Amino acid sequence: MILSDLMRNDVLDPSGDRIGRVIDIRLRLEGVQDPSVARVVGLVVSPRSAASFLGYERSDLTRPVLLAGLLRWMHRGSFLVPWSDVLRIDSREVRLRPGYRRESAADPA
Amino acid sequence: MSKLFALALGILTAIGGFVDIGDLVTNAVVGSRFGLGLVWVTILGVVGICVYANMAGRVAAVSGRATFEIIRERLGARAGMANLVASFLINLLTMCAEIGGVALVFQLVTGISPLLWIPLAGFGVWIVVWRAKFSALENATGLLGLGLIAFSVAIFLLHPNWGQLGEQLIPRIPVTEDPSTYWYYAVGLFGAAMTPYEVFFFSSGGIEEKWTAKSIGTMRANVFVGFPLGGILSISIAVCATIVLLPQAIAVTSLSQVALPVIQAGGTIAFAFLVVGMAAAVFGAALETTLSSGYTIAQYFGWSWGKFRRPAKAARFHLVMLAGLIIAVIVLMTGVDPIAVTEFSVVFSAIALPLTYIPILIVSNDRGYMGRFVNGRVSNALGIVFLVVILVASIAAIPLMIISGAGQ
Repeated sequence: MILSDLMRNDVLDPSGDRIGRVIDIRLRLEGVQDPSVARVVGLVVSPRSAASFLGYERSDLTRPVLLAGLLRWMHRGSFLVPWSDVLRIDSREVRLRPGYRRESAADPA
Repeated sequence: MSKLFALALGILTAIGGFVDIGDLVTNAVVGSRFGLGLVWVTILGVVGICVYANMAGRVAAVSGRATFEIIRERLGARAGMANLVASFLINLLTMCAEIGGVALVFQLVTGISPLLWIPLAGFGVWIVVWRAKFSALENATGLLGLGLIAFSVAIFLLHPNWGQLGEQLIPRIPVTEDPSTYWYYAVGLFGAAMTPYEVFFFSSGGIEEKWTAKSIGTMRANVFVGFPLGGILSISIAVCATIVLLPQAIAVTSLSQVALPVIQAGGTIAFAFLVVGMAAAVFGAALETTLSSGYTIAQYFGWSWGKFRRPAKAARFHLVMLAGLIIAVIVLMTGVDPIAVTEFSVVFSAIALPLTYIPILIVSNDRGYMGRFVNGRVSNALGIVFLVVILVASIAAIPLMIISGAGQ
């Protein structure tokens, strides 16, 4: 599987209700060795739009104000689901475990 | 001293390289039909290209990435691909217009049909992008393009009624023209001034010339001095057409009408300057659009690209350009009117502009790429104003084309 296969997939909560779509996959670079290892932190899920966040999920990207505001508004209610809370990935759907966590989608990095 | 010389050279090539076949044809057509009532659009477009090129140039200098590397990184593979296809095809249309334009200039001098010049023009462009050094091709075409100053000089030699000319600057739609036609040409003029390839070429050229953050000052001088002066050449074309072609209701169907006011004003000597200027400007633009076709595709796919590499080290980049040239020549050999191709190409340029403008606007605000060189308040305020203008022009273009019958 490549990460592109995950993008824009529907995300279902444990009861099978659709709660949004995968708009990004958050990675973290780990280790001091070169090349460093990229580990999947989780999926960014947007309840309203399948369009890209265009980078405005990062909290330090705030300008131009109008564009940042528009993109954050389009993706209001977005959240990050930790990778460990993903139960199953089918061809079109991602199902989450019971008691999955909703973390802030904002990326402080 | 050599620094000053380099700065002056950069500005002069920016002036001489500003005008292309789109500017030549569209300004003359608009001048002959609407007088100076659309000059405000050219001014708007020149300010727009300054805002845009300043951002794209700064991104290239600081991040070392050209436009389509940015688009691929920011939009992702799929949306980036859609963007690439649209931008490449519209650039190809502009390439057809420029190569057709080279043939039209040779027709103007020799009287021989452009159909016979087209393969030669295509070959000439290919051999130059294959063999010539980047700085040589940019400087030679830019400096010789200054021959277009003949248009500005011609205005004074024609002794126009300045008062009458001044009154014309107030935007108004002539009673003989439909409002949709007026706005259709407004979009076309905007697309002619703010053509996407100019920015692909400008930012990729920055990487060819190994710009760093230290080059930003020089880059700004080229943009904020060179482009507006180039814009004055562009407006001069419209003014010449207004003085000579409009009163006699002469329609622009080839470059001979574009040149007519200059010949009337300055005779053979002015014509000689003009021909050199037009040939260099249009040939230069043919080189720039051809290089842009290679830049866009190679940057998207991550192939090695650039004139700073030997062709064998950037084989796919050169192959794309060769294929583009062959397609352009075949299209032109079907006998399509290069003037009509040009008129469509400027409108489609306006349609495609948001595709490349928006990623550049976003990335020029991204500290991850730009560090402390992110857009300031003024850049962003203007950036947003032009985002709106560009979106409106892009969305309005197709409906206006249909309503006005493509400006008939």
